[in-house]
Amino acid sequence: MTDKYKGILYKTLLLSALFTLLLSYSVSAQVDTVNGTVMDAQSDETLPGVNISIKGTTSGTSTDLDGTYSLNIQSLSDTLVFSYIGYQTLEIPVDGRTYIDATLTQQAFLGEEMVVVGYGTQRRSDITSAVSVIDITDVGERPITTASSLLQGQAAGVVVRQTTGTPGQEMEINIRGIGSLGAGSEPLYVIDGFPVGTSMGQNINPTDIESITVLKDAASTAIYGARGSNGVIQITTKLADMDEVSISFNATSGVQNIPNSRRTPMMNGVEFSQFKKESFMDKIRNFEGREPDIDEVPMSFRYPEETQYSTDWMNEILNQNASFQNYNMTVGAGSGSIRSLVSVGYTNQQGAVIETGFERFNARANLNGDINDNISVGWNLAGSFSREEYAPTSGRDAIIGSAMWADPREPVFNDDGSYNAYVGGNDGIFGTPNLVMELTEMDRNRNTADLTSNGYLQISFLNNFQFKSSVNASIVNGRQKEFRPSYLAGRGFDSPPPREAYQNESHNETVKTSTDQLLTYTKSIGSHDITTLAGFSAQEETWKRLSASGNEYPDDIVRFLNVAETVDAGSSEESWSLLAYFGRFNYAFQDKYLLSATYRQEGSSRFGTNNKWGNFPAASLGWRISEETFIPDFTWLTDLMLRGSWGITGNNNIGNYTSFSSMAPSNYVLGGNYVTGQVLSSFGNPDLGWEQSNEVNFGMDLALFESKMTLTAEYYRKITTDMLLPVRIPVISGFQNTFSNIGEIENKGLEFNLGYRTSVNNFNIRTNFNIGFNRNKVLDIGGDNDEIRNGGLYGPNNVSVPGRPIGMLHGFKMLGIFNTQEEIDAAPTQSGAHPGVYIYEDTNGDGEISYDTEDMVEIGNPHPNFVWGFNLGGDFKKFDLSLMITGAQGYDLYRQIEKTSLNMDGVFNLAQVAENRWRSADNPGNGYIATSDGWQWQREANSRYVYDASHAWLKNLTLGYTFSGTNNIMNDIRLYASADNLLLITSYPGNNPEVNQLGGINPGVDDETYPVPRTLSLGAVINF
Amino acid sequence: MKNNIILFKLALMLTLISCSDDFLVKTDPTNLVEDNFYQTETHIEQAVNGVYSQLQGIISNQWQYNEFITDNTTLHFNIPNRGQGPALEAIEYWNINASTGNINNLYNSIYQAMVNINTTLGHLQDATFDETAVQKFESELKFLRAYYYFHLVQYFGDVIIITEPVDSPSSAWTFERQPIEDVYALIESDLKDAVSGAHDYDAPAGRVTKGAALSLLGKVYLTKKEYDDAIQTLDQVLLMDYELLMSYADVFDPQNKNHKESIFDVQFQGGNELGEHSNFIYTFAPRESVGAVIDFSGENGGGWNIPTLDIIDLYEVDDLRKEVSLNEGYTSLDDEWVPVPYITKYHHKHSERGQTDDNWPVLRYADVLLMLAEAINEELGPTVDAYDYLNQVRTRAGLDDLNNLNQDTFRDAVLQERRIELAFENHRWFDLKRTNTPEELAQFLNAYGETARSNPTTPRGSIPFGVSDYVFQPHEALFPIPANQILINNELTQNPGY
Repeated sequence: MTDKYKGILYKTLLLSALFTLLLSYSVSAQVDTVNGTVMDAQSDETLPGVNISIKGTTSGTSTDLDGTYSLNIQSLSDTLVFSYIGYQTLEIPVDGRTYIDATLTQQAFLGEEMVVVGYGTQRRSDITSAVSVIDITDVGERPITTASSLLQGQAAGVVVRQTTGTPGQEMEINIRGIGSLGAGSEPLYVIDGFPVGTSMGQNINPTDIESITVLKDAASTAIYGARGSNGVIQITTKLADMDEVSISFNATSGVQNIPNSRRTPMMNGVEFSQFKKESFMDKIRNFEGREPDIDEVPMSFRYPEETQYSTDWMNEILNQNASFQNYNMTVGAGSGSIRSLVSVGYTNQQGAVIETGFERFNARANLNGDINDNISVGWNLAGSFSREEYAPTSGRDAIIGSAMWADPREPVFNDDGSYNAYVGGNDGIFGTPNLVMELTEMDRNRNTADLTSNGYLQISFLNNFQFKSSVNASIVNGRQKEFRPSYLAGRGFDSPPPREAYQNESHNETVKTSTDQLLTYTKSIGSHDITTLAGFSAQEETWKRLSASGNEYPDDIVRFLNVAETVDAGSSEESWSLLAYFGRFNYAFQDKYLLSATYRQEGSSRFGTNNKWGNFPAASLGWRISEETFIPDFTWLTDLMLRGSWGITGNNNIGNYTSFSSMAPSNYVLGGNYVTGQVLSSFGNPDLGWEQSNEVNFGMDLALFESKMTLTAEYYRKITTDMLLPVRIPVISGFQNTFSNIGEIENKGLEFNLGYRTSVNNFNIRTNFNIGFNRNKVLDIGGDNDEIRNGGLYGPNNVSVPGRPIGMLHGFKMLGIFNTQEEIDAAPTQSGAHPGVYIYEDTNGDGEISYDTEDMVEIGNPHPNFVWGFNLGGDFKKFDLSLMITGAQGYDLYRQIEKTSLNMDGVFNLAQVAENRWRSADNPGNGYIATSDGWQWQREANSRYVYDASHAWLKNLTLGYTFSGTNNIMNDIRLYASADNLLLITSYPGNNPEVNQLGGINPGVDDETYPVPRTLSLGAVINF
Repeated sequence: MKNNIILFKLALMLTLISCSDDFLVKTDPTNLVEDNFYQTETHIEQAVNGVYSQLQGIISNQWQYNEFITDNTTLHFNIPNRGQGPALEAIEYWNINASTGNINNLYNSIYQAMVNINTTLGHLQDATFDETAVQKFESELKFLRAYYYFHLVQYFGDVIIITEPVDSPSSAWTFERQPIEDVYALIESDLKDAVSGAHDYDAPAGRVTKGAALSLLGKVYLTKKEYDDAIQTLDQVLLMDYELLMSYADVFDPQNKNHKESIFDVQFQGGNELGEHSNFIYTFAPRESVGAVIDFSGENGGGWNIPTLDIIDLYEVDDLRKEVSLNEGYTSLDDEWVPVPYITKYHHKHSERGQTDDNWPVLRYADVLLMLAEAINEELGPTVDAYDYLNQVRTRAGLDDLNNLNQDTFRDAVLQERRIELAFENHRWFDLKRTNTPEELAQFLNAYGETARSNPTTPRGSIPFGVSDYVFQPHEALFPIPANQILINNELTQNPGY
């Protein structure tokens, strides 16, 4: 966004704020007082502490110990709202009265609300499968840009990780473990009934979200067929509240910083020179057995204290107090036959690294209404535009890694004020571009614009039938541009400037359409409740790309392809489609015995011709024990339900055209002329199909003390088979491998969700603790000794073998450091070892550590024993407080970056801890850092680089205060202060224990990425 | 209006259902897939071109299995880097085992070419375009199939015969190795089909012609020791327009490619960005020659396929072919003589670094003449005709005619003439196998091996030979079936001795 636009926006906001203030001074006086008593409907006892508010405002009071109240109202046409924990909320219009008694009915339990499930909604208490409802109100007003943050720490078994601090980046979400070896483990996102894919995208405005439900087990996701096996996340956006006109405005502004505790202390210029000098001299001492002469030391580090510059490159590229801003305005008009909600939002998040950032505009209009008693319609239209300034930040060869290892003895700017363009490249230190210069001088940006429309028409007929037809469409346009001027050094090692300028530019367009036709039949006969659904769904998605790159620019001023000397361009297109027929049958007897069964038949363009259609059945049963007559009527027992479910789901992320034999050009010369030729390049497999998961789930829902305390427990076991993996085939087929549906993995686990809410006088507390234990195991990969290995001698190694969890960390087992030649001679042979290098375990017992992967064993488990979340919300009078802590316990990360930051060759700057390295038998250091005398037996994948990453992270703390409105125009203002990522408790030395650099089936690798900032913000919500 | 909306939705729904099968058919719009290819004459032509193009990769590596393994060439020993052992040195020193990577590559590359031949032939069955064109395509494909099986059977003995593409991955496990005779039966029948439908002599250069099919069929008969058939077949080639060029150098000069002596060449094209160039000399030039051999600054060769002292010594004085075929060393940029020999047959000036214009000769007229001389001698002894064919080749090389030989000495003379005339053209291994039993081959090669060990062509520094280097055992006349193919399909048998 240009500054001009920013200016206009600020002015608009300021004006509206002023306007608001002016209006709020046009006070109108209170007119009357209402009195009364509140009683329990069953026992006729009076109820103390019942909240009474005036509808549409926050002004209110509560009953005293005798259950009586007195409340000032502004108009005798107001409506009073009586609410009390464990009771059904009651609304009573004043209708000119001044004395109103109320009787409240106890809620059976907290189960009356409707929950969004696959192709419909269900009463929460009727759900017999594993479904988590994300409590959005509890999340508070956090300074977040991505809606995926809302899921953090909220539900057991839903692991949400912020793998990097890149502005605007989606969280990595995983439900019930890594569910696939070949097709990805991301859940399906369904937004307002539209299955949008395995990412919710960066462009949803979190403020627009009304509810999120997570469908976790197969019984709840099987109705999404071949996209259900990794769970489904259902998101619905807000509609206007009935009979209310409201305007809500919120603004948040904050600053982001990378705390020192999340940075690796690196050597400064003097320290690095000192290291270079010591390393040089130690080699002579240890290999030549003599004391070196100071004159032998190269001049550039002979006198470390005379080192001219000392640059902390990380500090130079960090953007201290990076700003965060978020504004939203929502207008709801809920009266009349057509109700509308319109919202606009603007978010601007500067990156914690300079010259990076994310900015987004959102607009949404959600309309719904009734044409007559039988026909209703709805239409949601949402558009957004985001702009991202990005930089490569993942891995030691990218910006963050380079900032660690760049030579600290060089300045950012030369004495004449110009950039020092090339850092390092002498004294054997790798050369790198000046990172500040690269970030500042390179153009790298990405724009995404999208427009989504969801429309439906619903017809009720013959009392029990309802037909709903919906059409969804979305278009996403992405544009990316990157220009590297000639005066920058090249990314990677030793590429001094000037170089050939280059540019990449690409344009993607994704068009998604879907339609659902749903017919519902609902009938209650006595104690029997039946709901059936029959549906048909079709979806199609097409992705197009146009890309071009240019080389050799005459100057670095004009940065467009038309001036490039050479231009390469290409275009491509991909598309898939699916059709599905499905049904659901729900039956309840006396709300005591519940049964639900679903069935889906799905066809997909992705599957081979012999396997076009798949069947996905599921069933679940619930038994509400607390309703049984043989259970005594304990007052403390509000509800107890046991449930069990089973279902088959699929994963169709197997690529769009994998089942085809494809051709590749292979040209020749005939008759002296170049001729086009084609050869087969892959082996088609017409049998190719989806991955299949078979899952059972047992659950218990318990509510105690009038639902003040709730406990949900789940056990699940999911077996995934037919994974899409490359298999070797006899070459006489013409190919060495092909994709096939093979292999088997298991995920099983326990999940607990404990909630407690209470209200003491004016003090309300809500807490939620959730914890998930997942165990995953590869059962089969298609051969006895087969393994899937990523990595080699120097690691990181992620190895999946039958009988063990997916992607375990492999390497040598490091036992210590050889102190003397005698120790080396006595140990199993490590060819070429000298004192100061690591001792590895001879795991195969052949007396030799062979210089390959033979002696490597499991050295770490990247899967946590358990992942937990704790949420606390409380309010006292007009103050409110919320906090969220997330944690994961018992897992390892492989700190790959230490191969660089503790690379004793002295070709990179080193971490300060390298001062504790082994230098001689008398000066052996801390026992974890090898000598600078060589490199072998140091940097091979080994257990020394494995760290426990167990952690607890105070993700958010928010304190708010609400000013009640004093007139009809403004209802209230809530002011709040919030801190994100406030406190991290861990022994892990890296910047982020949630890092997952390689992802997928190669978890637990940290080669340094964009650090996660701590954000402090202030905000206000104004409701009119 | 409301009703209209409902009707529209219902119509939409019904439309989608009724055309559901079409709705689920998606082919890759960006890349060709088999299902939408092989439909028209143009497609088939492109598929055939693709089959031809796979010759380029295979021929570029064939020196390893036909020259390097023999007494013709060796390697420019790399003293500091001993990492090439398992891949290439195993071939030079006859240490091949079932895991030798380059044998695996050889086996894979041939079957990977075969699938394109078989698939195209299959689609040709349903072709509806011009019958003559169909016949010509079929002839070209069958020639190439025979060519590949002829190589497979000579390298590996019994091999899996596959003449149709497998229809699913699992059926790739149902094939067994077939006896040598059956392989030859397929080769003969394919070549006879190729002869009958083939292009004439004046077909575009590079295409399989009748002459090529007859020459290869003649060679198959010769290999099977069916001399009468060989003579009759090869005699037909004599009637065509082929002739020996006056100058041996012109035979290999890219300026002159696809000349009257060439019967079948693998085509390459340098001097442009189309990617169809060759780069043989970059493999064959001495290492560390830094621009002294290949005329680009700093350019080194691979140091592979280095002519042995054994073959260099074999050239008769005055043999004009020697300087065309090889150099005994080169003058370095520092003006020093470096006695590392290298092949010059494929060394010609070229404008782009790494992109040469040289074709690779597969069948040429001199080969036909020498095959005829060999066949006649075996069938009838050294007749006038046999002498004539042999001496035609010698005359062009500037050598005196041979005469007064008996059948045995004539046989030796032809073999030696083939070794020199066709040097470094990938004939030697099959010539040795054809004219020797495995035991004789072992005896012959071990004799060579002893001299090679005592007087290596290039210096080895202080690195000694391994015990098994240059020791040839009779079973090694056949290559092993690659171990990983047996690993995948353990029904597959291995050759004896491995």
